[in-house]
Amino acid sequence: MSLAHDARVTVRPTAAVQRSKLRGWPEIDNPAAWTVAAILLIMPLIANGFFLIEIFATTLILGIMALSLMFLAGYGGMVSLMQLTIAGFSAYMVAVFGVSGNANISLGWPWWLAVPMALALATIFGTLGGALAVRTEGIYTIMITLAIGAAFYYFTNQNWAIFNGHTGINTVATPHFWGVNWRADIPFYYIVLAVAALCYFAVDYISRAPFGLALQGVRDNPRRMAALGFNVNAHRVAAYAFASFVAALAGVLQVWNYRQISPGSVSVGACIDILIIAVVGGITRPVGPFIGALIFVLLRTFALDFLVKLGLDGNRFRLLIGLGFLAIVFWSSDGVIGLWQSWRHRQRFGAASSSGRRGQESGRESAQGSSHG
Amino acid sequence: MTRFVERHPAWALIVIIVIAVALWLIFAVWPQGLEDAIGRKRVFLNALFNGITLGGLYFLVASGFTLIFGLMRNVNLAHGSLYLFGGYVGYAISASTGSWVLSFIVAFILTALVGVLLQVLVFRRMEGQDLRQTMVTIGLSIVFADLMLWACGGDFYQIQTPNWLIGPVELPLVTAVKSSGEPVYLRYPLVRLVIFAASVVIGVAMWLALNRTRIGMIIRAGVDDRDILAATGVRIQLVFVGVFALGAGLAGIAGVVGGTFQSLSPGEDIRFLLASLVVVIVGGMGSIPGAALGALIIGLAEQLGSVYIPTYAIVVTFLIMVLVLAIRPQGLLARR
Amino acid sequence: MDSVAQRLSVVGAGAALELRGVTRLFGALAALTDVTITVRPGERRAVLGSNGAGKTTLFNCITGDFPPSSGTIRFFGEDVTHFPPYERIRRGLRRTYQISALFPGLTVQDNVYLACRGVSRGRFSFLRPGQNDALMHAAENLVQAVHLTGVKDRHVAELAHGQQRQLEIALALAGAPRFVLFDEPAAGLSPTERAELIEILTSLPAHIGYIIIEHDMDVALRVVESVTMMHNGRIFKEGRPQEIQSDPEVQELYLGGGHE
Repeated sequence: MSLAHDARVTVRPTAAVQRSKLRGWPEIDNPAAWTVAAILLIMPLIANGFFLIEIFATTLILGIMALSLMFLAGYGGMVSLMQLTIAGFSAYMVAVFGVSGNANISLGWPWWLAVPMALALATIFGTLGGALAVRTEGIYTIMITLAIGAAFYYFTNQNWAIFNGHTGINTVATPHFWGVNWRADIPFYYIVLAVAALCYFAVDYISRAPFGLALQGVRDNPRRMAALGFNVNAHRVAAYAFASFVAALAGVLQVWNYRQISPGSVSVGACIDILIIAVVGGITRPVGPFIGALIFVLLRTFALDFLVKLGLDGNRFRLLIGLGFLAIVFWSSDGVIGLWQSWRHRQRFGAASSSGRRGQESGRESAQGSSHG
Repeated sequence: MTRFVERHPAWALIVIIVIAVALWLIFAVWPQGLEDAIGRKRVFLNALFNGITLGGLYFLVASGFTLIFGLMRNVNLAHGSLYLFGGYVGYAISASTGSWVLSFIVAFILTALVGVLLQVLVFRRMEGQDLRQTMVTIGLSIVFADLMLWACGGDFYQIQTPNWLIGPVELPLVTAVKSSGEPVYLRYPLVRLVIFAASVVIGVAMWLALNRTRIGMIIRAGVDDRDILAATGVRIQLVFVGVFALGAGLAGIAGVVGGTFQSLSPGEDIRFLLASLVVVIVGGMGSIPGAALGALIIGLAEQLGSVYIPTYAIVVTFLIMVLVLAIRPQGLLARR
Repeated sequence: MDSVAQRLSVVGAGAALELRGVTRLFGALAALTDVTITVRPGERRAVLGSNGAGKTTLFNCITGDFPPSSGTIRFFGEDVTHFPPYERIRRGLRRTYQISALFPGLTVQDNVYLACRGVSRGRFSFLRPGQNDALMHAAENLVQAVHLTGVKDRHVAELAHGQQRQLEIALALAGAPRFVLFDEPAAGLSPTERAELIEILTSLPAHIGYIIIEHDMDVALRVVESVTMMHNGRIFKEGRPQEIQSDPEVQELYLGGGHE
């Protein structure tokens, strides 16, 4: 005890700052984070129903999905394109086991039975997919998970018995209890916010727990992890299981949000959107996916008006997204957070000390490169 | 081959039995009981031929994908876009000039040019960063898809089959015997057979080029060990550009073929990207014979599946991929 | 699982490490041919030989990074030939790498903590270590043992080469090692750092045996009691350091070709 204590005192100040940043909750001593939390909490007072659901709840739901990808990619070095598929599977299961307009398909279970069932099945589905993906290394993961996502999309299109083909399942029931309609704008917003906060803090917490640390070790150097006594593939599969659960939670919220689910929601393009959200936001920190999701949702909602105002074709939203994504990939290794940080760093320290930071970053990048090699 | 038999006698036996059953199904006149059980022989033969010719198309797309991946470790997720681009170019040429053959040439040249530009302007700057390259290809696929939607709209296009290829041809395969004892022969669209033959020729030519020419040896050595390339003093960038051009050009040709067989519309890019992924995962990444085998298996699975188990056709394709990943994660014909 | 008495009898009965007829092929190329070695518990041995003699391949076979093509490997009496690497590590085998194999995105402390965690329970724990976590303390002690306390909260990517080599050793000493394989631990170190390395090696508890691959004869011969010479993937000579040094055939080999 005393040894550890002394050691901490002797640490140089810069390192101490870094330590508190990494060990504890970075938000506690950050006024900006408190402000954001307060705004999110009182949002129903500020925003009307459209903004509350179409912008903020949607952002948080997409953010949770992208968070599950960030966990796998940022900490585990596994870029999985099937996170939306897992969420979609979970959404379908809520619709199939619960109550919906398609009485011939839905089993009519109450939501408190249907949701745990959906979460369990989606987690198993994602874990099996992960077990398949970890049989190869690095860049192959993208191909396999994309193939899984695409296969699920085509399957939901073809299958009528469970997934009701390309029309999907409509008018899915949402929970009512304690006299509250939880799908009404304000209660639903708070449910989404609570789940998002839970997932965010869980990911942040686990990143410093033995499981999360070991996952980062697997990302940096799987062979050495095996030589330290870790079963590398078991760790990877466990990471998929956790990420699948997070994605499944988002799926439940999504089907409650739209009250319907169809193959269009699990298309390949939508799978790739989750990757774009995570990469644009930044995949090294759990806050990145939420920032990315906000940008994405704002663009998706307002691009049409914006483009028309500029005298351009309003339908070119995808083009805008694609070009923006390319720009981020070209100029930042860590999404908009990375851009923001390097900008602030330059503001604060000037050009003189920026070389050290760059060295650190290139080191991390080479580490990531080696884990995919 | 003999080594494979020696090492895996059980697998070899299974393969031999499957081949024997398949040959019997193709050449024998089916007994009444079998026709009652699984339908007419004509349906089976049609599905079989459709599967094989579709496999030829998949091979054209996937061989370029696998070649680019094998040499440059670049997972080109914009490969489907190149396919669709080639198809649209082919349609434009064939609609304006009426020449089917010319549409192939122009589509090849233009998509190859796009490939060259991509390699020179984009991928060269991020060599060795395979994840970043893949991200870029994802971004490009979105941009290309939207640009093509902009230019061509959401309509379906079909490339006109030239007159000299229209119509079925009678094959010396008996589908049934009439009550009069007169055999009925299989009639099959000539254009599909010609295209399949062409893809076989392209495949063999590629295999020969890779195995019998100096530049092919260099490329193969590069696939196995990239450091060798630098050591041989070859202008490595030139090889990369050439391979990217060839891979992209093949996707372009495949687009014209796909536009003739089937049709072109937004979304086909994703479909053929997925097909390439599955074919390459099954066959073995970076291997041309692997792409051929994978394409054949997936093409057959898709067509036979859609005839005999229509709602689960996609599942069959997917299960094949799962099975291969579980048993031989590096793919059927991969060297490593 | 086994009782202490059983374990002791196994240890008493046999060698720490026993390789019989180990061969490793890469394609048609034999990197190791019919290698048979027995090392007592607590024994300290050097493996010498020119580049390509098969020394690192030998290590890779012992740890299971590359399993041998044929032959058997026993670790404290137990046949581990077909065990995955992590099972061997959990039984007390450790290794370091010739080119540092660390986790550049993590801090020094976290690197060592991972090493401690890898050979104990709770590898999948979702709970963060608390203030009094025993493994955290073990990790801090190890960090101190390799003189890295001053940089323990730095990312590994920022460390100097010598510090990375020291961390490399710390990772191999986590938990309760019974036998360690050191792959050129002195490579690229300054004379001062070499002295520190020798001190770390000689102050290891007596029950911990090791094999060290080392080109620097001065380092090697000060920390070992026996030497194995390898050449072209085979065992060439075994003996005490003085015998090997004065052996005419060894001198011939070292002067004739592979000397560096």
